[in-house]
Amino acid sequence: MFKKVLVANRGEIAVRIIRACRELGLETVAVFSEADRNALHVRYADEAYLLGAAPSRESYLRADKILDVARRSGADAIHPGYGFLAEREDFASKCADLGITFIGPKPSAIAAMGDKAEARATVIKAGVPVVPGTEDVGNMTNDDLLRIAPTIGFPLLIKATAGGGGKGMREVRSLEEMPALLASARREAESAFGDGNVYLEKLIEGARHIEFQIMADEHGNVIHLGERECSIQRRHQKLVEEAPSPFLDDELRKKMGDVAVKAAQAVNYVNAGTIECLVDKDRNFYFLEMNTRLQVEHPVTELVTGIDIVAEQLRIARGRQLSYTQEQVQFKGHAIECRVNAEDPFNNFIPSTGRITHSIIPTGPGVRVDTGVYPGFEITPYYDPMIAKLIVWGETRAQAILRMRRALEEYRIVGVRTNIPFHQTLMDSHRFMAGQFDTRFVEERFSMETASELDEAQAEIAAILATLVAHKETERSAQIVRGNERDTSNWKWVGRWERMHR
Amino acid sequence: MKYVTTIEGKQFEIEVVDDRHIRVGGRLLEVNFETVSGQPVYSLILDGKSYESYVYSGDEDWQVLLRGRQFQVKVEDEREKRLKAAAGGGVAEGGELHLKAPMPGLVVAIPVNEGDEVKKGQVLVILESMKMQNELKSPRDGTISHIKVKAGESVEQKQVLLNLH
Repeated sequence: MFKKVLVANRGEIAVRIIRACRELGLETVAVFSEADRNALHVRYADEAYLLGAAPSRESYLRADKILDVARRSGADAIHPGYGFLAEREDFASKCADLGITFIGPKPSAIAAMGDKAEARATVIKAGVPVVPGTEDVGNMTNDDLLRIAPTIGFPLLIKATAGGGGKGMREVRSLEEMPALLASARREAESAFGDGNVYLEKLIEGARHIEFQIMADEHGNVIHLGERECSIQRRHQKLVEEAPSPFLDDELRKKMGDVAVKAAQAVNYVNAGTIECLVDKDRNFYFLEMNTRLQVEHPVTELVTGIDIVAEQLRIARGRQLSYTQEQVQFKGHAIECRVNAEDPFNNFIPSTGRITHSIIPTGPGVRVDTGVYPGFEITPYYDPMIAKLIVWGETRAQAILRMRRALEEYRIVGVRTNIPFHQTLMDSHRFMAGQFDTRFVEERFSMETASELDEAQAEIAAILATLVAHKETERSAQIVRGNERDTSNWKWVGRWERMHR
Repeated sequence: MKYVTTIEGKQFEIEVVDDRHIRVGGRLLEVNFETVSGQPVYSLILDGKSYESYVYSGDEDWQVLLRGRQFQVKVEDEREKRLKAAAGGGVAEGGELHLKAPMPGLVVAIPVNEGDEVKKGQVLVILESMKMQNELKSPRDGTISHIKVKAGESVEQKQVLLNLH
């Protein structure tokens, strides 16, 4: 049984894992890049070791350096979090070779599910429905794919075999545009995963993205912790997740849960995993892929089940039985998560970097914030733009939405632009409130421009605010110019003065 | 001091009377205005009503983020506005366009060469930032006159990547 856990990740998820270890009395080892010396995970862990320069491939993706830190620190287990090395079969195998417990599934399960084409073949055999697409496993050339595409039918999706997070994914509407999209999908997959292989899948229109949380121990027990609705996405990046899905009833939930368990059993799955499904308008569901790791959005499941998923992962990795049977898993209320990203929603969601100078985190009843940043922390372009997850719980979905609105209004982050206004607009949208959305909702039927006319009362307040700030600035510069003893020439002062008024 | 403040074409006449009072369209209002620990977050109490907002200064205007809504606000003092009216508006459009990096990142590829004729919407630069590849497209038809960066190079925000003629 391991006693010291190395957390091979950064940001909020590293903090989340360290917290679970602390609560269970396990020692923790953090690793960090040069950009993350002052990050929260480094400060919270019992030990911390530098990996290398800021870019991921010189730090958090360096399996050799991470394993060396494990040896030096005497860590006997590694939690990979999500992203980076979490779904790398070779890394999990190396851990096993060195006698280090990999907190996650067996390398064989990562391999079987990690290769998306092989995963499809495996679950088809277990009787799980999949989205129609290329069935051949392995490296298909562009010529092969172009030949097969018309038999699947357009629109279709090009997806990275090693994929995840929407990287290397392209939507194709016609054969003519396919060669260029294949090239850009392969290029993105190559840079993100070091593997440019792609496959094709029919695009299900009007689909919802609904996933099931799976927990499995080494004793053959496999349960699910219900579903998460993840249809609110932009460029295949999830932005909001909730549990339960407003689209499922108990019957469909049971049916999909049973299938999810079956898919996990097909690869002898152990530890926490997620079965992602597409559900069409007619409630047909299709297996999409299995994520063989902890998910970003795991907290919504934790809030409605009361189960600490990370603590359960640690238990399972120590060879213990699951703490719950399927019958003991009860759902209570409704949870919503908003991913707070350093992106400007008023400027086409362009990433925003800079130092966080000020931050007020919402608290109060039913509110949880998982974050790895704090005032003084620098948001760099090296890692993904998520800076926090704001999660709320309510007795009903309506209460959860009201609570989320309240918490979003309280949240203040200064120094970078965030997508909080996007979430506020979404929480006010009638379609979201009514649960009427699919995976295309944000891109096709949502706008930051509120449909209603300019709210004059609010506009007047905005006008007053801007005027008062402008007035303050004018006053301040006027005082400086009037000052007697200047440290620079009057011409320079005039130049600065004029610049203030441009 | 008197200001003319414009939001989406609607004008507000706002006079700062003294530290504690403003006049908006003839109404005298009591105002208590503070920055929240010196940040661009401001707290305003206006006749007893409390508001909090982000106010950012843009190139030519102000951006006010209030209750999840962003307003583009133009603030001009009266004198300034008169001067501008006298000078007459309209700036001639320049022939050369500088394509700037909208965010810091790594140049992955530049699928065009100097001297190439490009169409509006054509991909000029592929920039990777925060693990996403972003295609920067040409805002109009033109000719690439000068490419200032190479693939594999890291660039800062607003750095000029290439010139379009």
